[in-house]
Amino acid sequence: MTPVHFSFCSAFILGLMGLTFHRTHLLSALLCLEGMMLSLFIALALWTLQFEMTGFSAAPMLLLAFSACEASAGLALLVATARTHGTDRLQNLNLLQC
Amino acid sequence: MTYLVSLLLIALIVGLVAVASNPAPYFAALGLVVAAGVGCGVLISHGGSFLSLVLFLIYLGGMLVVFAYSAALAAEPFPESWGDRSVLGYVVIYFVGVGLMMKFFCGGWYEGSWMIIDTFKEFSMLRGDISGVAMMYSLGGGMLVICAWVLLLTLFVVLELTRGLSRGSLRAV
Repeated sequence: MTPVHFSFCSAFILGLMGLTFHRTHLLSALLCLEGMMLSLFIALALWTLQFEMTGFSAAPMLLLAFSACEASAGLALLVATARTHGTDRLQNLNLLQC
Repeated sequence: MTYLVSLLLIALIVGLVAVASNPAPYFAALGLVVAAGVGCGVLISHGGSFLSLVLFLIYLGGMLVVFAYSAALAAEPFPESWGDRSVLGYVVIYFVGVGLMMKFFCGGWYEGSWMIIDTFKEFSMLRGDISGVAMMYSLGGGMLVICAWVLLLTLFVVLELTRGLSRGSLRAV
């Protein structure tokens, strides 16, 4: 595996593990999601550049636009959580707990 | 040049480890800023200067600024940094994991793959990635229109999520 390929693959896996094992704050899970999006942007842009498929350079731009949509939806959920529960700590999201 | 790009790639992994070990959100946003900065450096060293500029402007200047303002919602009196016991455990585990994966997967330097785009092509005023993005306005115009509609839809999604007083999509707000 080339070093560049290894680094953005491991960046994606690290972000995924940070999202899976999130501890206290909802916002840190959203930031791990943003880290995954960053690694995907770098991956698509390097795909374009290393294979010299210049027509594919629109793909990272569109990925960035859609990831902005996803980030704004996640932040809206964070704001809604902070409005009802007062904080975004995950131990407060226990309405369904018996 | 090889060493510079290797340093940027190591800094990318360190930045993402800093985010994934879940410290207080202030420090995780700092890790993302560093990771995005060195990611831009990696893209530049492959010749994609326009895509790197887009990453800096839109990702750092747009999305991460919004995340930094939202970090005010996650304010703590004693934020956990990377030196605190629980976070440091995750940092060590992630570094050991990346080191093990590097032992298995990394074969060599592969210098031949680190070429700048358009190296052996004709002389041109425009780099490859700029003309590729310009294609989004000519042949890819349909995707651009779809993207614009999706962004407008997201605006309404956010409006409905945070409408409040049990009138939006979340009854509890």
